[in-house]
Amino acid sequence: MDLKTAKLFFLLTSMLLCVSCFDGTDFDQANEVVLTPEIELDLIYFNLEASNFYDYANNTEVLVVEDTTDLDFLGGSDINDILKGADFFFKFTNSIARGFNVSFDFLSQDNVSKYLMQTTVAPGSEDNPVVSYFVQSLDELQIKELTKAKKVLVTVTIPSSSQDLTGVLNLQSKTTYYLQIEQ
Amino acid sequence: MKKLLFIYLAFGLSVAVSQNKQLLYNWEVTPQTLMLNPGALVTNQFHAGIPLASQFHINVGSSGVSVFDIFADDGVDINTKISNTISRLSSRDFFTVNQQLDVLNFGWLSKGLEPMYFSGGMYQELDAIAYFPKDIAILAWEGNREYIGKAYDFNDISARADLLTVYHFGVNKQVSKKLTAGVRLKLYSSLISVSSTRNKGAFKTTVREGSANIYEHTVTDLDVEVRTSGFISLDGLEQSQVRKKLLGRALLGGNLGIGIDAGITYQFDNELSLTASVLDLGAIFHTKDTELYKAKGDYTLDGIELIFPELENGEPTIPYYDNLEDDITREIPVDTLNTGYTQLRPTKINAALHYDFGRFVGDNGGCNCKNNGTKQKRVSQAGVQYYSIFRPRGLQLAGTLYYTRRFGNTLSIKTTYTLDSYSAKNIGAGMFLNIAGVNLFLAADNLLQMSNLAKANSVSLQVGLNYILN
Repeated sequence: MDLKTAKLFFLLTSMLLCVSCFDGTDFDQANEVVLTPEIELDLIYFNLEASNFYDYANNTEVLVVEDTTDLDFLGGSDINDILKGADFFFKFTNSIARGFNVSFDFLSQDNVSKYLMQTTVAPGSEDNPVVSYFVQSLDELQIKELTKAKKVLVTVTIPSSSQDLTGVLNLQSKTTYYLQIEQ
Repeated sequence: MKKLLFIYLAFGLSVAVSQNKQLLYNWEVTPQTLMLNPGALVTNQFHAGIPLASQFHINVGSSGVSVFDIFADDGVDINTKISNTISRLSSRDFFTVNQQLDVLNFGWLSKGLEPMYFSGGMYQELDAIAYFPKDIAILAWEGNREYIGKAYDFNDISARADLLTVYHFGVNKQVSKKLTAGVRLKLYSSLISVSSTRNKGAFKTTVREGSANIYEHTVTDLDVEVRTSGFISLDGLEQSQVRKKLLGRALLGGNLGIGIDAGITYQFDNELSLTASVLDLGAIFHTKDTELYKAKGDYTLDGIELIFPELENGEPTIPYYDNLEDDITREIPVDTLNTGYTQLRPTKINAALHYDFGRFVGDNGGCNCKNNGTKQKRVSQAGVQYYSIFRPRGLQLAGTLYYTRRFGNTLSIKTTYTLDSYSAKNIGAGMFLNIAGVNLFLAADNLLQMSNLAKANSVSLQVGLNYILN
């Protein structure tokens, strides 16, 4: 057996194995990884005809119309843990010659109000629809309350109405969700 | 000395980390050379790999990012480094893990009118590849807010992982003075397999004039599929039961497949030769314990439209949200199937041109008569090697320049320079030690990065112990 050759083999392979290492790294940084995606998502929309505000059968004004929808994704504990803020954006286009009060009441399953947003919409005309914007930004504390809700009650109030009233109140809306996902 | 060898091997195994086996191809290491080219020139009469130690190989690689890129202790916020890495990587970048453990490997020269070298054995293999799902990573990391109008492509999702055992038997024959050819039959037994490689469709958030709401969130032409085999029967089992089940599958109890390796060596003259091989040309037939998840369809979401219905007292409101969920489920149904499927093995191709030069190894300088007339080895060999493997997104290629130097019959050193998807500066070296028929080899590449593995895009180290009778 060629001892010199064997020694050479062991020397070279030892160098290979022993010098290998992970230098200048800090794997504890993995604990600092935070995902902060910002998600844009449509919310609700509607087209309320002026005729919705008048009861033609009984010849009476209908000053308040409302509708409710579940928003199941808001009430989950998963979203509650990672949602750090949200911007609600509402765009009203009004061609009815009346202003409106509009409220968005976020309710729990038991219809307890968790967060209320209210705004007014300027009157417009069919020839000149008026656009009104309403933005509500919620911080982490406010969003914690809102995520206790499971549904939203939308109430549209008109100060007065008549059977001759024409036009449409259009709403488009979206929400920007600010998420923070960490270990 | 042999005890020392065993201790050394055990140590080597414990630190060994490393698909392309450019260092082992057409080298002295008989069992592994035959596994890489069934038509390799065989100069021995018998070989037996030490059970579970004849070869251990693991390759960990990433084509576009190193551990250092993310975890460098440089004061830069790790989230910034991840953001920069996501921006830099493309959906063609990939991460791979390939590990093989030779359980048994043996071979013998069958003398007679038609001398042939038979070889066989069994090895375990783990092979995984995941392409970087860039669009999905952007969506998860940053969301869609800054990317209105961008199509997030589901085709970016492409990954596959297989754990299997392979039983093989090959025959190698010197057909003529110039040509040696070989073929190897393989029987695959899949332990676990998961893959999602044929996905298409896109998700996009757009602003469109005349749309019902502010945005349109569209899923277009979605067709995604995840195929699993070997998982559902493990669900809920205890660890010991899982081990027992996997062991049964390893012993030909899994989903079976069949494949073939073939190769040649052509000796132009005393100096110049050509070798080529095709490996794992075959498929596994997943017929039992399969579960496939498929989602297919198109959908446009523009929020929830309120219609303010006139409700009588106590009349429930319209279940807008439930209706929306029902719509999505109807338009993009997610099906769970238990149908079988066939999966091609990742076929590899090797080819090389070799040039021998320098004086002859040993003293006699003449014909090695045990070697069916092939010429005795020279001290030096240089050449160029080609390697490719069929992956879900097409071929991955590597080219290697190498030089082999033999020091008597005891030591052989091979050095390589390889250009591949991982690196343009991959220098490798291997040492082969022969002590009284006991052969120990160790081979590693990316040596320039060995001093700090964190900076390496891939690491490859192979060790093995065999007994060879010349």
